[in-house]
Amino acid sequence: MTRNAMIDEWYPVGLASQLDVHGRKTALMGEPIVVRRGEDGNAKVTGGNEHALPACIRYGHVWSSLGDPQKPLFAIPEADQPGRRLVDVGVVRVRCSPLRAVENFLDIAHFPFVHTDILGSEPHTEVQNYKVEIREDEDEVWATQVKFYQPQAAKSAEGGITTEYMYRVPAPTCSILYKTCPPRPGEWDVITLFVQPLAEDLCNVWPWMALFDDETPMTDLIHFQQTIFVQDRSILENQIPRLLPLDPGMEIPTRADLTSVAYRRWLKRHGYTYGAQLVAQ
Amino acid sequence: MKLYDYVLSPSCYKVRLMAALAGVKLSIRPVDFHPGAEHRGPELMTLNPAGSIPIIEDGDLVLTESSAMLVYLAATAAPQWLGNDTAMHAARVQQWISFSHRLTASLGAARLHEMLLRPGNIDVLQGQGTAALRELEAGLVEQSIRGQRFLALDRPTVADIACFPYVALAPDGGVSLDPYPAIRLWSRAIRAIEGFIEMPGIHRLHELKPEPVPEVGEA
Amino acid sequence: MRLSRGFVRGEALSCIYHGWRYAQEGNCLRIPAHPGLTPPDTIRVAMQPVEDGDGIIWISAGEPAAGPPRFDGLAPLRSMMAETDIAALEAAAGTKSAAGLLDYTHNAQTVQLLLAPEGQARTLMHVLADEDSNPTQRIAASRAAEALRRAAEHIRAAGSPNDP
Repeated sequence: MTRNAMIDEWYPVGLASQLDVHGRKTALMGEPIVVRRGEDGNAKVTGGNEHALPACIRYGHVWSSLGDPQKPLFAIPEADQPGRRLVDVGVVRVRCSPLRAVENFLDIAHFPFVHTDILGSEPHTEVQNYKVEIREDEDEVWATQVKFYQPQAAKSAEGGITTEYMYRVPAPTCSILYKTCPPRPGEWDVITLFVQPLAEDLCNVWPWMALFDDETPMTDLIHFQQTIFVQDRSILENQIPRLLPLDPGMEIPTRADLTSVAYRRWLKRHGYTYGAQLVAQ
Repeated sequence: MKLYDYVLSPSCYKVRLMAALAGVKLSIRPVDFHPGAEHRGPELMTLNPAGSIPIIEDGDLVLTESSAMLVYLAATAAPQWLGNDTAMHAARVQQWISFSHRLTASLGAARLHEMLLRPGNIDVLQGQGTAALRELEAGLVEQSIRGQRFLALDRPTVADIACFPYVALAPDGGVSLDPYPAIRLWSRAIRAIEGFIEMPGIHRLHELKPEPVPEVGEA
Repeated sequence: MRLSRGFVRGEALSCIYHGWRYAQEGNCLRIPAHPGLTPPDTIRVAMQPVEDGDGIIWISAGEPAAGPPRFDGLAPLRSMMAETDIAALEAAAGTKSAAGLLDYTHNAQTVQLLLAPEGQARTLMHVLADEDSNPTQRIAASRAAEALRRAAEHIRAAGSPNDP
């Protein structure tokens, strides 16, 4: 198992709306890269020695890789659905492992304590049993039938509702949440976390959303999601150990942690260990 | 009273917090500071050429300095927060309000660098922030020796609100609050004030809410 | 997640992240995500012996043979962190610790310090003052401790530009 297994994946490196011809400097897994708009309008990403890296634009972001991705970027069909508001939330840097950023996004037991009176509140702290699987065909982690009572589930929600969730991990540092859409029962609001690994303990987090909400101004949608993520940030920067443990050890998972247990198992199976620690180093 | 506001801005939060504590209802106009840089766009630059937020509009009055907004809110609705009952108290309040600008310039800039990728020399900013926190700690220790729990008096004033947000968010910029017990006690005292509101990164005190009684079979 | 970030309700300490609640003996009382579950006894936090000696909190690694030292006539004033080691503090004070305390006099005000190293290059300074001192004297004692720290950190940074 080497750290190189994550080299051939796609990672977000910038906002498509902020592409310019001069280029912006950033990094992927310790390697400096430059992201700019080419003459044809497409994104151009270069690594050391002006070496051209793979690049594509999808879901409002520029994506690149230090290696050779074997598949196109994962699909989110809801992104193309007419009537959806597509929201670029904006980058937030966090001094934590990129894998920890994803795992925290999969957790709901913290809602009443970290997102108090928004995504959860005491005494409604119980996490009922839900279903978790690694879908072998797509090779993705999925959690379904997740339910939680939320005082303010979304900007579009009027009052407290029991929200239903699904979580999906299609790539080691990306997670997609499907949640109850108050204005359109039967549809799911889509909220994603695209994480750019800068170092094993440093990442840029690029949240993005595809929502049904005709009322709320765009800035309010952005601020709501930034609020949620920045509430998580101080937790993420204080987790011990810094690197995500992939071997069972001191931590004791409960039934509420099924998604993160599956995520860690899936990471280990693939050798996705950038930002992780194994007992046998 | 209209506030041009960014939910993640500690300076805007000073105004939101003071308004909540003073019982003033604000009309919030959200500004897409990040990623949209709306504060630098034509509409807001016309209103405030400094290109900063918060901005308050109240009739003909436009205010662009958060310290002035705190004083205006207090003077309008809760004058005891001005702390100007004596010349000495008024001076202490002004001293700490002036000091608060160093917190913005150091801890605030460090936070913008670490969290929102703004330019800056992080080592210098963190060093300046640490120096400011040490001065604040010493000041609070001396206040507590005098039997006073807040910066200027034994009750909170606009000076405390001016200093609190950037101090509480120092860890966002990589500056720990662990070495400053007096600051932590003062932060708890502020968060225990009736009417206190949070911002992302500044959590309420869960201990103020009693442990819920377990309910059987609830969703 | 450090429990020092948590919150106390009654006689229990809860973690800020998921609200897991721990009793004074270290065992977990409640996991909010599973309110009906009695947490297994294996879920517990490590404990250390602690004593409150006249306002100074002492902990020990392992079982100590005797109680913590007492400092008659002195009362705790404040705790501060110095970005330097005990040797630099002693050099700045011009004396070494005796009976656990470092004496320092500045502007005719004497202060006593209990020093505890934190790693190689930091020291916790617990400042004690005469228990009969008035507020003016206590403020002077606090400033004396600040002066000592400034001098000691300057020694540590000897060679680098003096930053006023």
